[in-house]
Amino acid sequence: MNPITDDDLVLYRYRDGLDAARIEQIAAALAESPALRERYAAIERAIAHFDSQEIEPDPDIGARLWRRLSPQLEEAGVVASSSPGMLERLRAWLTPPQARFAFALAATVLVAIGVGFVVGRQTVTAPPPQMVASNEVDAAAAARVLEAYVAANLRATEGVLLTASNSGDASLLEGNRELAQSLVESNRLYALAATRAGNTQLATFLRQLEPVLLSLANQPGTATIQSSEDLRHFLDSTDLLFQVRTIEARLDRTGKRRAANDGDSRI
Amino acid sequence: MTDDDARWIARARAGEAAAFRHLVDANGAALFRVCARITGDRALAEDAVQEALLNAFRHLADFDGRSALSTWLYRIAVNAALAQVRKRRDLEVAWPQGDGDAAMPFDAADQSPTPDREAMSSEIRRDVEAELARMSPIERAAFVLRHQEGRSLEEICAVLSINVSSAKQAIFRAVRKLRAALEAPGELA
Repeated sequence: MNPITDDDLVLYRYRDGLDAARIEQIAAALAESPALRERYAAIERAIAHFDSQEIEPDPDIGARLWRRLSPQLEEAGVVASSSPGMLERLRAWLTPPQARFAFALAATVLVAIGVGFVVGRQTVTAPPPQMVASNEVDAAAAARVLEAYVAANLRATEGVLLTASNSGDASLLEGNRELAQSLVESNRLYALAATRAGNTQLATFLRQLEPVLLSLANQPGTATIQSSEDLRHFLDSTDLLFQVRTIEARLDRTGKRRAANDGDSRI
Repeated sequence: MTDDDARWIARARAGEAAAFRHLVDANGAALFRVCARITGDRALAEDAVQEALLNAFRHLADFDGRSALSTWLYRIAVNAALAQVRKRRDLEVAWPQGDGDAAMPFDAADQSPTPDREAMSSEIRRDVEAELARMSPIERAAFVLRHQEGRSLEEICAVLSINVSSAKQAIFRAVRKLRAALEAPGELA
């Protein structure tokens, strides 16, 4: 019999690179020889140390990789640019032509109402000079109230998006549609309020949400698995849910900070 | 290739960002693990996965579907990890180098965590890291693929583009270097 080398023992450990007869020979020799067993154990110990070097991925590895890859893929022309494509993807998601028509009509009506609302407020309710000072005093409190309401609205929006993309239950989707309808109106008002408060970033974001909420509010009664899947893809590709959560958390933090500052100033 | 793979690949080939995002989510963690095992470094591993995915997505048209998508990505990722290690070595900022003469005897049967033993354990760990650093990228990759990834010698040859004899020798050298860190000089056969 050929002498058993340490290299043979390494191959034996993995049962790879040796023929069946050689494997049997080594197994028999290991059973008989304590010295060979000790050599084999030394190899096992060395290999075991390598396992202690394991590095586990972070839970958000996929999202982080995507953040780095996405602009590179766009630059390389592998995927279309994501920023101007948001509305296009939404349009694609609204596959039934009648839903597209309803969306366009509703958007037009809301824009008209919004313009009328802003113009009406500006011409009729200009504050008298003596009220300006008290308005400034209350500005921080008003901002806090607005942020709290917007945060609550975003939480509800997040729930609507998740239900629409994950649920196949008809009654749940019906309730979700009604909730989306109510959120359309409040979302529009908060966008206007944010504009008036000078928070253009928040206003812009809320305006971006409006067509999504509108389409959810006008979803056909028989939502299909495909439409839920399309919505999931839409949410994934635009990171809309992530943005909703981020802004919601930011508003919560700002609200708490303002409340703490108000408390300090009263003391 | 599975039907699910085929569906996502078709969408990705059409340039749909959501499909690429799905492929990243589905494969990112597994690719990171193998890259981390080969590079021994979190940042290098992440760079390798990113490079691999970018490379794969840019050449998605070349994927012929004869193997699973994950296998194709795996092969690209292993080579990206090897490239990262080589690049790092070229820059001479690789893993810390030990002096090679400080190997301590190690008794695996008695590992109670006394302060002395903990100190010895950390010293051994340093030695092991030094030995791992001495492995060539191919040795480390071949050993990782055989030992931790459970790949056969034939698969290792395909991934690393080497022959069976070279794959075996790379694994043998890797194991010898690991043993050198754990055994007193002169004990090696």
